Amino acid sequence: MNYLDLSSRLLQLGERLAKHAGKIDGETLGRSARRLAAQLDAFEEHLDSYLASRKSGELLLETLIRSPAGKRHLTIELLKHGLRRIAGKRLKSEDLPAAKREFIELIHEAGKQDKGVEFLQGAFAQAVHVETGGKDKLHLQHEFIRLGQLADEEFAQEIGKRTFGELRRMAGVNGIKFTDKTTKRRLTALIRRYAQRAALNIGVARVPSQT
Amino acid sequence: MSSKVLAFINFKGGVGKTATVVNIGATLAKLHEKKVLIVDLDPQSNSSVWLMRPDRWREHVSKGRRSSFQIYDDALHGKARFDFDEAVVKGVVTWTGFTDLPRLHLLPAAVELLRIEDRIHELRAPVVYQILDSALGLHFKGYDYVLLDCPPNLYSTTKTAIFAADGCVVPYVPDYLSLSGLMVLAEQIAEMREKFAPYLPARRKPNIAAVIVSHYRQAGNVFRLAVNELELSLSQLHATGLLSDRATLLQPYIRHCVRVAESTSEHLPVILYAPGSIGAQDYCDLTQRFVDLFEGKK
Repeated sequence: MNYLDLSSRLLQLGERLAKHAGKIDGETLGRSARRLAAQLDAFEEHLDSYLASRKSGELLLETLIRSPAGKRHLTIELLKHGLRRIAGKRLKSEDLPAAKREFIELIHEAGKQDKGVEFLQGAFAQAVHVETGGKDKLHLQHEFIRLGQLADEEFAQEIGKRTFGELRRMAGVNGIKFTDKTTKRRLTALIRRYAQRAALNIGVARVPSQT
Repeated sequence: MSSKVLAFINFKGGVGKTATVVNIGATLAKLHEKKVLIVDLDPQSNSSVWLMRPDRWREHVSKGRRSSFQIYDDALHGKARFDFDEAVVKGVVTWTGFTDLPRLHLLPAAVELLRIEDRIHELRAPVVYQILDSALGLHFKGYDYVLLDCPPNLYSTTKTAIFAADGCVVPYVPDYLSLSGLMVLAEQIAEMREKFAPYLPARRKPNIAAVIVSHYRQAGNVFRLAVNELELSLSQLHATGLLSDRATLLQPYIRHCVRVAESTSEHLPVILYAPGSIGAQDYCDLTQRFVDLFEGKK
């Protein structure tokens, strides 16, 4: 059942009850009606509190604040900045849950729910972390594959031309994990191993000569 | 309404196709206020039973009548028994018995779809490719996003989805088995692009629009190396023209999260079942990138 179904049912019930209200009586029906009225009181209370917390029907602002993205990306600093920009007000709360509540209240007070939603959506979009790997990533990936295609001697020559820092950068970009204690020799072996694997796996490994 | 129709495909199973469709669909509806239709085309009906309680699903799709199966059965028998409004389920019923996510609609699948592949060859091209597009094309216009959850193969049902879609999204698990499959998939889609061209409007060409990585684990080298090989492979496919320049590896990668697996048994998307979990957070961030990509904010 959805809320639209429930509202039609209540409307139909109301119409039937109004039609027969002058002629129905009895203890069983009375007891049942009293229980229904109590249930309706409780339901109205929940509905009112739901709607009041999302004043003027603006549901998205609160949904966004309480969303998984809100949990991951919202900070007090961000909320302070947003509130100042949108409503020109200062956020006083010092802890995050209180700051979220205050942010919503003050945005509603200023009647700037649309701006609030826009700010949060923009902030979430900016906050999504994307690893770019730096400007030279593509070049270093191509180099990695090229190294994977080289014969042992060619590889040794190529590696000899590179500094330890360059090798570390190439390994990092190409997904090889190492520590500060990893030696140049060990790093070279890792690059050799995984560059060959990558060349083989993506189908560009050098086919051994038949002669 | 300008709808985006996207086929989620990978002929390798277990790559997170259904999890991606269900959770991106739910997040688009809940946090981006988009109207979303999920079309389940897999006889395993995993999207359907993820979003519906099994008893309700069985009752709803009884004999395949109110399911995607009816579309193909009609095409085979020259009938028109499929009724979109009757077949589509609106919203997700939570354990309270009331509906949440009213903007998320589902056209469920039925196991009867298994019978379709045996007979669909009776229809000739281009009719066979056009089945889904002809039956649902007009209805798609009422949605912001239509997500087609395809079976793990590239047989006829999947081809009808690729024909009907503006682009394909490939869910991917970072390992070599997926990598080898991706290269074959790109070749197959390139073949379909040529085959379908005479029957499609010029702006609609089957292509891979995005690759999504799931089941990712941060520990050790394994997944970082596998993702690097995926990137290298995509770069090579771009260079050979098998992949369009717009095809993107979407980040963040979806990390392994037990709450996502658990949410299937609760018949709820993870954003409703465990909104605080890393799974819900990853899908929220991924959906943001998804919107940026498909709404031109890249």
